[in-house]
Amino acid sequence: MYLFDLGKLPGQGSMLIFHALARMGVEALVIVSPKSPLASIGYFQDAEKEIDLSYCRQNGISAMRREVGGGATYLDENQIFYQLIWKRSNSRFPVEMRRIFEELSIPACETYRRFGIEASFRRENDIVTREGKKIAGEGGGDIGNCMVFVGGILLDFDCEAMSKILRVPDEKFRDKVYKSMEENLTTMKRELDQIPPREEIVRTLIGEYGKRLGNLEPAELDDRLVERMRALEKWFTSDRFLFKKTRKVPKGVKIKGGLEIRYGIHKAKGGLIRTVEEVEENRINEIGISGDFQFYPKDDLANMELELRKTECEEERVHRKIQQFYEEHHIEAPGVAPQDFTTAIVQSQSEVSE
Amino acid sequence: MEIEGYHFPDDLYYDKEHYWCRVKGNVVVMGTTDFAQKMAGEIVYVQLPLIGKLVNQGKPCGALESGKWVGRVYAVISGKVVEVNEALEDSPELINQSPYDQGWMVKIEPANLEEELGNLMQGDDLIRFVKSEIVRVAAEK
Repeated sequence: MYLFDLGKLPGQGSMLIFHALARMGVEALVIVSPKSPLASIGYFQDAEKEIDLSYCRQNGISAMRREVGGGATYLDENQIFYQLIWKRSNSRFPVEMRRIFEELSIPACETYRRFGIEASFRRENDIVTREGKKIAGEGGGDIGNCMVFVGGILLDFDCEAMSKILRVPDEKFRDKVYKSMEENLTTMKRELDQIPPREEIVRTLIGEYGKRLGNLEPAELDDRLVERMRALEKWFTSDRFLFKKTRKVPKGVKIKGGLEIRYGIHKAKGGLIRTVEEVEENRINEIGISGDFQFYPKDDLANMELELRKTECEEERVHRKIQQFYEEHHIEAPGVAPQDFTTAIVQSQSEVSE
Repeated sequence: MEIEGYHFPDDLYYDKEHYWCRVKGNVVVMGTTDFAQKMAGEIVYVQLPLIGKLVNQGKPCGALESGKWVGRVYAVISGKVVEVNEALEDSPELINQSPYDQGWMVKIEPANLEEELGNLMQGDDLIRFVKSEIVRVAAEK
């Protein structure tokens, strides 16, 4: 297996490299960072629905679709990616997806541990610290005749930049995404108050993967590979590939496994209801309700938000809670029934009619 | 039939990529197996071929995503795609809920049915293959 220790690559190179190697059938470990920021979307995502493309253009952030799974994310030089490419027929690698993630995350977890950060793999394919904060996201896929597993060591992460590249319904939602990321993501810098020298991290990461993969033969970008990457770049940056449509409308932003920020819009007779909720394991952690409807007593809207905390995000339960709140607090909201709030909260954006 | 807790209807034909097909008159319906959907976990996206596309047995004709992994959909039989299950685009979980019925993926007008059915498995061949796959997965744990 080859080792490409590439440092920082300009443009979309840090992502194109594994797509090219997989198509060429070259088994390799790639360690790389992007030289400049990228907005990367998962294979099935709709760029126009997920990414604020005009913000990205104005700020020189290149947007690209990758052929591995997961959601939209912000990539920059403060992330060191590990990318593993192997042939489907290679029996040294697991075949079951869950095992691939579990086993191939070990070297990344060990790397964090070697720098004093207790990290482990968690289902839904994240690496988390002992406190349950996400410190790496991973994804994978079948490309050509190869399988590809990718992840990134977070030296530092710019939550604000990440929240800005996303296409969101309003600024309140963006703010919630930002705050939730600040609370639920962590990095080497946050855990250690400093970023250890990059070379040391890379050396450790390669060493740990070497223990799992055996001998890694150093390799460099050659003309053939660069040419393949260039050819791919044309396809990856084409409108046909980047703006590929998907019918499924995103209903929120996933922060880490089991935790997402969702939004709802519902037009009731009495006005428009907007909700932003942090949902963990399908329970509401926190919710914000706004809109141009009337609600008396006014202060009770905040109390209703509090009352909805820990409620399972399931129609009957949410409705029961709101109905009960209306009755106990003698709520008067002309043209806005408990069912209207329930609809805004529970139904995904794709099902909601404005 | 049930093979170690996984359901495999007797009247279907199966390939080694864990896809099945059912012959219905002049058309072949295909999808993925109970074993494969359980291995994959919750399927969140599916991309199926366009109607009219020619597909080849054992070759990729679509993609699906589960657990942040983008996998391939393999054509069980060669031929022309005549219908795809559009419901999967909005509700890919149908594959998990009903892999042999509501979760069907593609209908193909076969090009070389008789010969290609011979490349697929049923009965004892299928039992042997599925058991070997179960052993292979178990060995990884």
